[in-house]
Order: sequence, then C-alpha cells, then structure tokens
Amino acid sequence: MSATALYGFVAHAIIFGALIMLLPLGDRRRMLAFVAIPVALATGIASFMHGFAGTPSLTLLALTVWQLIAIKPAPLTYRPALILLAFALPFYAMALGLGPLDPYALGYQPLPMLAASLPLAALLWWRRLDGWLLILALDFAGYASGLFANLWDVLFDPLLVLVALTVVIRHHARRVPNDG
Amino acid sequence: MTLPRWLPPLLFLLAVAAAAWRAPAPATPEFSLPPSAAPTRAPASFAAAMLPTAAASAHAATLAELPDGRLAAAWFAGTREGAADVAVWFATLDAGGWSTPQAIATREGTAAATLGFVRKLGNPVLYDDGKQLHLWFVSVAIGGWAGSALNHSVSADGGRTWAPPVRLQTSPFLNISTLVRAPPLPLADGGLGLPAYHEFIAKHGEWLRFSADGQIIDKVRMAQERRTLQPAVAALDGRHALAILRDGGPAPGRIRSATSADGGRQWTAADALPLPNPNASVAMLRLHGGRLLIAGNGASNRNELLLWISDDAGKTWRPAPTVESVADAGAEFSYPALLQTRDGQIHLAYTWRRQGIKHAVFNKAWLDGETP
Repeated sequence: MSATALYGFVAHAIIFGALIMLLPLGDRRRMLAFVAIPVALATGIASFMHGFAGTPSLTLLALTVWQLIAIKPAPLTYRPALILLAFALPFYAMALGLGPLDPYALGYQPLPMLAASLPLAALLWWRRLDGWLLILALDFAGYASGLFANLWDVLFDPLLVLVALTVVIRHHARRVPNDG
Repeated sequence: MTLPRWLPPLLFLLAVAAAAWRAPAPATPEFSLPPSAAPTRAPASFAAAMLPTAAASAHAATLAELPDGRLAAAWFAGTREGAADVAVWFATLDAGGWSTPQAIATREGTAAATLGFVRKLGNPVLYDDGKQLHLWFVSVAIGGWAGSALNHSVSADGGRTWAPPVRLQTSPFLNISTLVRAPPLPLADGGLGLPAYHEFIAKHGEWLRFSADGQIIDKVRMAQERRTLQPAVAALDGRHALAILRDGGPAPGRIRSATSADGGRQWTAADALPLPNPNASVAMLRLHGGRLLIAGNGASNRNELLLWISDDAGKTWRPAPTVESVADAGAEFSYPALLQTRDGQIHLAYTWRRQGIKHAVFNKAWLDGETP
C-alpha cells in the first residue's frame, strides 16, 4: 500500500471520530469520538469512506483534529466558510466539465499557485488569523512530502465544502451576527 | 497558549519553499516516435483465434509487446460487466500459443492495496516501456462507470508478478470519473502521455502527462462541442498528434477528432472524421511506415468491425478489409485494441460477442488488400 492510501485511510477514521463528536452524546462524546477512530479503522467504515470520498485534504484533517482536541474554537467560522463555498462551487463546476478550462490542472504544476499564496499569507498574518496561516503551512508541507500529486487536493475537498455549507446554513438558521 | 508573532509566517515560508522545491516544472513536452522500420515484402497473412476463456463475460482488451517479443493482452472478465467477480485478466502469446489467463487485478486486491472500498473493476490498459510493464485500470466504489477512479500497477517481470496498485489522484471531486481505454504515448523526456476521459455529468477526453518517475504533472481537457469519450492518440511527429474519440451521441455518430501541435500541452477540437461511430470505442495505431490505422464499428451497430487507413496523417481515410460483419444487429464485435510489434505484424484484439476476446494478426500486405 502507498503512503497516500494509508494517510487517506487513517484520516477518514479521524474524520469519522469528529462526526461522532457532533452527536448529542453529552459529556462522553469526546471519549466516544476517540473510541470511534479505531472502530472505523477495524470495521471497514474508514475503508468505505476512503473508497467513496477519496483522499481527504490536509485542511479538513487539521480542522477535524482541531475539533477533536478542542484547544480553541475551530477557525472555520462563517466568513471563511462562505469564502470557501464561493470559490469551491465554481471550481468544481469547471473541473467537472463546465467550459473549456480545467482549473484543477493548475495544481499539478503549482508554482503560480504558491506564488499567489504569498499575498494571501501576508493578509492572514496582518489580520492575525494565525490558525489559517498554520493550516496553510501544514498544507504546503504536506504537498512537499509527496503525499499529494495535486496542490488543490491538499487545500480542500468536497467533504470540507460540505462542512463549510453546514457552517453557513447553521449561521443563517441561528441568525447570529457575522463572526468572521 | 499564544504563539510568537513571527512563528506562523516563518513556518509558512518554510513550507512554501519546500512545496516550491517539490513542484514539477517540466520542459515543453515532445512526443517520442519509434524508429521507422524497413518495409517488408511478406505475402499477405491473416489469422484469428479466440483467447483462452477467463470467465463467462469478457470485454475491453488491451495489448502490449514485452521486451522478449511476447505479446501480452489484458481484459476484464467475470459473470457480467460490473459484477463483483470481474477481474482484470492477463495472458501472453508465444510460439506455443496463449498462456492460461491469470487475474492480475481483483476487486478485493485493489481494495486491500488502496485501503478503500471497491465495488467493481473496469477497463484496463497495458503498456511496456522497456523497463517495466504498466497496467492502468478503473475501479468504482459507488455508482456507475462515471464514478470510476484510476489505478496503476507495474510489473518488472513481464506480468508474472505485479506491485500493489496505487490509486491516482486525477480529479478534485471525490477523485472520480477518470477512465482509460487506449494506450499511452512515450514522451521525449522519458515520461508518458495517457489518453483518458471523464464522464460524470459532462463527457470529454483528457490527456494525463506523467513524468519519467511516474508522477502526474499535467492534465489537459480535449474539449468538444459534443459528448465524447475514450480518446485514442497517435503522434505524427515530435510536436503534432491526432486524437480520435468515441462519439457519445446523439446518433448518428461519427468518429470525433482533436489535434495537438505542442506535444500534448493543448488539444483543439477538429472536424469529425468521415467515419461512422455508433457510440463505441475506437482504436488508432501509427504504423511503422507512418500510415495511420483505425479500428472501429460500422454505422449500424457493433455487429461490424472495420478498419480504415490514412496515408496522409489523417486528412483522408479509405477502408481496409473488414474484420467481422454479421447481419444480426445484436451481435457485438467491439472495443478494439491495435498494436504493431517490432516484427511488423499488426495485432488486433477485440470483444467477441461479450463471450471472449478474439485476437487477429495480419500484415501490411493483407491491409493493402492482398489475399492470403
């Protein structure tokens, strides 16, 4: 088996644990979430998730671990979730065949993308969004490790977009002020 | 815990530097053409025989020539297309005939190697680069063929043993809908260009470029106005190539085409060929002398398997002898694979009534209309 396959398999087990933590299980939900991780590995749940969803992005894994450890609130709040949705939805539409351009191809030779990330990183630093800056650093380190063939796959994936959609919908359902 | 203000940007810059160091920056691609072989004056020959049966239903053959001169074939077979027992089977042809087929990719083995659920296997593609034999094949976790992912395995001993397959990352959306049907072309930098296709929501051809060390370093869409799939590509020179594609409908269909003038960096839709295509797979081969050969079905259905030749790099086409033709419109002779071996013989493998794979071998004289 390849290192990428092992990463995807274990990452999906951790994601499954984070999903368990979302259930209304009271004070024991964190403990149950950690128990769910080896259960997912052993029972085929992680294998099914991996087969269905492919390799999860490092961003999703970082946010998942963040939630499981819960040192601070995870940084995927309303505004970043909205920005991700606004970017990802047309990205997927084009990558799946809408129009002649395939933006996904850029991720196989990502030097321009890396260059474009520098002003984004400066903005994150200036806004003191250290959490996102560290996640971006983790993403690029993951790409450098050779686990991912395409830089886009490190940055986001459909499950992360689904999480972002959930954050946005919950925000509007609760009608809380913009917290981004 | 609060991090020093300087630490996140420093970590970020280190990570960017590492990613930039790893990011490929390949040279302009160029096709690698095989050396032209001296024309032979052999009398016309044509022979055809069924490959040994591996399972009740067989489909989608692919051919490769091994370094020792043996012909290798792979196809998928099982109870029926899409069944859980479908495996990719492999056999070789030497002077003693075809070897007993061996399953070289199974649903269970692929799931174990990729650590991901696999529901069914599909189209294989073989290619020998002189150092190792490559196998690409599609697998599906959920849904139909549009949900396919692409897997890759290699053999260093002519197909006797295979490395565990690796799932390639070719799509951002659940890594689905990358399929293959036709063999790759060698590139001058030691890499490969693999024709592929996408069929989730939209249907179009794609071109995957691999570096010499096997990494995907580019993906190019072969955009068309109509739904197209299953490209087969022939290089015309170092920069130019012709791709032909299955017409995804609506009927009546014609073989669609695209061209590249920059080593596969970009593909431009070209006029459809004046050749029928009943929404069925086609194969194309650049013969040793430079002529192009296409195998495909007739206008009515898959009950005719026809050949066409072009002497002018695909500008005009003329029919070559018919391989199969029956009146029964329900009969199927489909999914051809073409290969010219180093001895000049031309090999054709195709699905025969879904009951098995048939192999025909003929030479230039037969192709030019001489009678064996």
